[in-house]
Amino acid sequence: MRTSQQSRRATSALVVYVIILVAFQVFLLTVAVEAFQTDKESLAWATAAVSVALAAASVALLRYFRP
Amino acid sequence: MNDPEIPAPAWKLDFPYEAAAEEEVTRREFARYLVGGAVVMAAGNVGLAAWTQLRSINTGEPRAIVALNDVAVGDTHLFRYPAEHDPAILVRLADQEVVAFSQKCTHLGCVVFYEADESRWHCPCHEGNFDTRTGAVLSGPPPRPLGRIDIEIRGDMIWALGAHA
Repeated sequence: MRTSQQSRRATSALVVYVIILVAFQVFLLTVAVEAFQTDKESLAWATAAVSVALAAASVALLRYFRP
Repeated sequence: MNDPEIPAPAWKLDFPYEAAAEEEVTRREFARYLVGGAVVMAAGNVGLAAWTQLRSINTGEPRAIVALNDVAVGDTHLFRYPAEHDPAILVRLADQEVVAFSQKCTHLGCVVFYEADESRWHCPCHEGNFDTRTGAVLSGPPPRPLGRIDIEIRGDMIWALGAHA
């Protein structure tokens, strides 16, 4: 059984994971804008695919937060 | 802070005290906002990709650009093609020779201009240079040639027939 302190640590770790994923998505958004400016469709779609995967991972991580 | 949507558990009704662990709820909400932002950014990314794709599909309809007599040999003319937000430029190289290109540099989208002295298209942002007639990269960081616009002289008018990426 987890103690309260362990739970807090686990929650904090999850928040850090989500922050890292969101930071990466911000970077991907800048790449997508650059792809848009230079008309690189393949790069734009690749960026979108990774971004959707990261968003899905973020949503999946939400499940592990204690209600 | 308690979430109004989640009913308080039975034990909390019996023992209504505030615990140090209450702050975890705030963290969960914070994470929820972050995940919401991640979903919005993913949607924005997909939207940008779709927009980029749609722009490349639009090659433009044939239309008259400018009267041939209004452009002297060696001069350039700015116009918008294929859409109103796509800057393009043409240069009259000889009496009956006109070439046109998208004005967007293929490196980072800066505006290129014609350098008559060097006889080349020049991007001042990162010193990219393109061939006047073909738009091929001569030097600098651009990875691809300039987007070419098919041009035809019909009577006294210069027509744009379509754009190529």
